[in-house]
Amino acid sequence: METRAILDHQFTVAAYVITWAIQLGYLAWLGLRWRAQKRDAARSARNSR
Amino acid sequence: MKKVAISLYAAATAVLMVWGFYQAIYVAPDERTMHEVQRIFYYHVPSAMVAFLFFAISLAGSICFLAFRRNRPLWAQAADAWALAGAEVGVVFCTVVLITGPLWGRRAWGIWWTWDARLTTTLVLWLIYVSYLLLRRFAAGPQVQTLAAVLGIFGALDVPIVYMSNRWWRTQHPAPVFGGDSDSGIKDPAMLHAFAWNVVAWLAWGLLILALRYQVERQQQKFAAQEAQNALDA
Repeated sequence: METRAILDHQFTVAAYVITWAIQLGYLAWLGLRWRAQKRDAARSARNSR
Repeated sequence: MKKVAISLYAAATAVLMVWGFYQAIYVAPDERTMHEVQRIFYYHVPSAMVAFLFFAISLAGSICFLAFRRNRPLWAQAADAWALAGAEVGVVFCTVVLITGPLWGRRAWGIWWTWDARLTTTLVLWLIYVSYLLLRRFAAGPQVQTLAAVLGIFGALDVPIVYMSNRWWRTQHPAPVFGGDSDSGIKDPAMLHAFAWNVVAWLAWGLLILALRYQVERQQQKFAAQEAQNALDA
């Protein structure tokens, strides 16, 4: 495999991996925020009683 | 019932993502001049399209917030949540565009970045919406939503400029995929299919996280209202 093809392959893999890392990282962050909010809402409801 | 529908949608999105990946990597042929690195296109362009759509949703949410904030406060809060969700998820997709683009450019042009009209206007768009998110995150007071809505509307004005930039000015960026002259666009049917599947897949994925972000914001609004009520009752 020539150098150009190897570099093309590495750049393509990098683009796909980075795209998925950003998207899944954001989804995970949203999930954590969702869970924290549920916990805070339950605590707030307990305090209001 | 709602949970089943969401699960089915998420499963269909996952299947679409896998199918889109398969089409982009294994089915679409190598491009004649750029070879394998051209496959970045199947993630780069759909991400840009979805980012534009979500900035348009943010624009609509911002306009509705300004229109309803005095007469219909509940509608205004929902509109504000859509504006924020659209801006934030749009920034996520725009970030993907700004990272995958230079990776492609480095191999195709030999440089990571150039201050050409398409790249510069896209960077400006990203910076405007990042400032929108920073305003939402760090500013306090009753006018934050209104200020953010105005900034969101101004930010969206950059979207048509980004879209038209490689039509209005001579740019290093490739010619438009759609709506360009007869020489531009995708000619190979296999490439067109791979591109179309990835547009559908990324749109489905984007809508899923947009809906989730909207729900998180609505929950946050309800929590803030509950806290305010608790403070009044105390």
